[in-house]
Amino acid sequence: MTAVEGSSRTSELARQDESALLDLLQELEKRHGFVPRQVSEEISRLVEVKLERLRRIQGKLDSTIRRDVQQHVAQWRNEEGNLIMILHAIQNQHGYVPREVAMELSRELGVKLARIYEVITFYHYFKLQPPGAHTVTVCNGTACYLKGSGELLNELRTQLGISEGQTTADRQFHLDVVRCIGCCGMAPAIVVDGRTCGHVKPSDIAGHVAAVKAKTGGAK
Amino acid sequence: MSALTREALEAIARQPAAGPAEWIRVQLDTGGIAAGAEAVHQALLHARDMHHHACAVLRAGSVGYSFADPVIEVQAAGMPAVHYGRVTPEMAERVVREHCIQHRLLDNHVIATRQRALALSGPVTHLLIRDTGPESGSKTDFFQFSFGEELKRCGLGERIQVVRALDMGIYDEGLVVQLLPGGVTYANVLAPDVARIVAESVQGGRVVDDLLWKKADRQVRIVLRHCGNVDPDSLDDYLKRAEGYQGLRRALEQTPDQVIAELKVSALRGRGGAGFPTWMKWQLTRAQPATQRYVICNGDEGDPGAFMDRSVLESDPHAVLEGMIIAGYAMGASKGYFYIRAEYPRAVERMERAIQAARERGLLGADILGSGFSFDAKIRLGAGAFVCGEETALIASIEGRRGSPTPRPPYPSVRGLWGMPTAINNVETLACVPAILLKGGAWFAGFGTTTSKGTKVFAVTGKVRNAQLVEVPMGTTLREIIYDVCGGVFENREIKAVQTGGPSGGVIPVKHLDTPVSYETLQQLGSIMGSGGMLVMDKTDSMVEVAKFYLKFCVDESCGKCAPCRIGGYQLLQILDRISRGRGSASDLAQIQRICLAMQRASLCGLGQTAPNPVLSTLRYFGEEYQAFIEGGPSYARKVSRAATAASGAAPAAPPRAAPDPRGPVAATGTNPAAVGGTVS
Repeated sequence: MTAVEGSSRTSELARQDESALLDLLQELEKRHGFVPRQVSEEISRLVEVKLERLRRIQGKLDSTIRRDVQQHVAQWRNEEGNLIMILHAIQNQHGYVPREVAMELSRELGVKLARIYEVITFYHYFKLQPPGAHTVTVCNGTACYLKGSGELLNELRTQLGISEGQTTADRQFHLDVVRCIGCCGMAPAIVVDGRTCGHVKPSDIAGHVAAVKAKTGGAK
Repeated sequence: MSALTREALEAIARQPAAGPAEWIRVQLDTGGIAAGAEAVHQALLHARDMHHHACAVLRAGSVGYSFADPVIEVQAAGMPAVHYGRVTPEMAERVVREHCIQHRLLDNHVIATRQRALALSGPVTHLLIRDTGPESGSKTDFFQFSFGEELKRCGLGERIQVVRALDMGIYDEGLVVQLLPGGVTYANVLAPDVARIVAESVQGGRVVDDLLWKKADRQVRIVLRHCGNVDPDSLDDYLKRAEGYQGLRRALEQTPDQVIAELKVSALRGRGGAGFPTWMKWQLTRAQPATQRYVICNGDEGDPGAFMDRSVLESDPHAVLEGMIIAGYAMGASKGYFYIRAEYPRAVERMERAIQAARERGLLGADILGSGFSFDAKIRLGAGAFVCGEETALIASIEGRRGSPTPRPPYPSVRGLWGMPTAINNVETLACVPAILLKGGAWFAGFGTTTSKGTKVFAVTGKVRNAQLVEVPMGTTLREIIYDVCGGVFENREIKAVQTGGPSGGVIPVKHLDTPVSYETLQQLGSIMGSGGMLVMDKTDSMVEVAKFYLKFCVDESCGKCAPCRIGGYQLLQILDRISRGRGSASDLAQIQRICLAMQRASLCGLGQTAPNPVLSTLRYFGEEYQAFIEGGPSYARKVSRAATAASGAAPAAPPRAAPDPRGPVAATGTNPAAVGGTVS
């Protein structure tokens, strides 16, 4: 590979991604023992462009996050003890509390990040991981427990191949266990994407899972 | 919308508005909607538009028949209102056409559990029948036929309809017949009585005294008085049809001291579990000199298996709000917070709407009803921490911090929210308050026992035939609640124990079922009243597993601040786990007692102090089960586990099975000597 070849490949690869660029550099170094000046100049120019682009994207992201957070904060600005309510609003928006948002919130409220994480991690309701596309929740209130929620959970574990609190590798299903959804009259109950199903038998699980999968397939 | 004045409220009180003559109310609470009530509502609207425009299709909260969700109530002109349970959208058209237009009831869906009369009120139009005998329901068809034939013979076949009911609120009393309108009810009806009932009651207009069911309905509804009858999203409905905000009007006509005195007469005690007198709490908060006082409504119903608060908040939010405003007036507070679980989105939504509506009509805000008293209420969401049911932890959570409890004293009535005097009341307590102001403390104190006055709502669930919300006067026995109101245990299995009070409560064995329910009696039995969850367990439930379930809950929920709760709970769980795997040793039981004592004495807050209750009460009443696991060893534990699997496999038709924990064995029907021994002792 000549230096010119190298530089043309560099510009090509730089458009794609950075790790490939690194690979290329390593390859050039291995072959020539050094990185030709022509190439290194080209790279430094391209990388700068790339970094700039990255910064631009990042800046855009930051400003959306900042705007969202500012909106949430503005809504609760004059309320005392608003942190939990703001976190609820953030989780409703994203499905979890992303780290960047928490950091922005810390700046916006003037509360230490550790304080915010103290609250997030204390309450079960707040999540730090993005949820799957579909959530299956098993109620493990006492009434459901007595009527066999354990069997339902086992069945779901087998069907989905994950245990509670986890998300499948394709990010399609998230399996959760909750304390009580207050539908004890129809125990045992599960909640599939916000729809509560009562009097569920382990044999019904496959049907519910298939229904959700079918829904996804249809959407695609 | 203009602000309400006191005069306007008085006018409403003098002249309650007449609603539409014909209506269908669909009970849209979380349970109902989960069972498909929204679809039923849509279908009914459609059917109404097609066939019968005069009939209003309304929304309402839940009356509490959880076993029969979705439930609707139908009022046709000239007929008594009828509840239908297990309604499907496909039925909607039949409800409108047959019930509303032709005045013919639908078979197999009528719930007639509460209205009963001793005298006929008019010519009979419908007979409701249900066989409540051992093979429940099997003779219903036969009797429907014979009543029909008998009526035909008398030439009444056209005029009087015989309907199979879904539930009559009477259990194990043979065939039950109820005459509509009125609700005269006969039980233990045999084939020869058919002709007698038709001749005497239907034709003659007399009551057949020897068959008459004279037991009145056990339930007294104070907290649930409007649940299922009013539209929770409509302030107007509450004002016009449910004496809404009349209690507040009465309160504002009195001095705050008089309001507290009225509460004192009623002897209302906190319904959240501990049973502290409400008037005293208000008095203490009022007595503190402060610039600002707060009222908090604790709607963080964390007990698994309890749904009273959710149901009240969803079905009658204005009553709770009215109670809070009265509380604010009585103690001189100008701000109130509703602390509601985020897991109850519908309750939050409806309360938000209620607050908004009340604000628009001047029932919240400055100078309420021209009294000079100002009050505002806000909602704060819980975030799934059981410990936040504890007062000091709840306050920390409202302040936006993690919900760790702090040592008491100072009590919240001295130093609460943001250091100001604060009174924290349960949803149910606040819902009682307007009724007390309206009807008087003496009226309220007329229900209940000497130490526990009034009524209590219980969410009866578990292995019970009709899981539902029940409101009974204090002093009603557990047996009456479970057998008379809820129909006993599923599939006539034997009841083994009742769990009250959730993870902080204890297990009450079957031999104590005749205990009248009150704060004191339940405490003596090693349990607590709690917020009102009542779990019924049958012979297939292993008490060691149940204790482990509750303890695991408390260990998960422990905030970790104090050592007795954090470490003690964990160690206790390890021992229980060991025992349930058959690897326990004889010294373990003594060790359990020691740890429990330490937790009770030394824990900072109620969670740690009461966490050992389920363990101690199961150990107290079902010690043999623990002993059997310890003596039997791993082979016994495996046998129990295998037997449980076999038992659940043998009866696949039975929906409620022994609940197996994936990590441990489960006791089984009949094969567990300890389980049998449980009742003998």
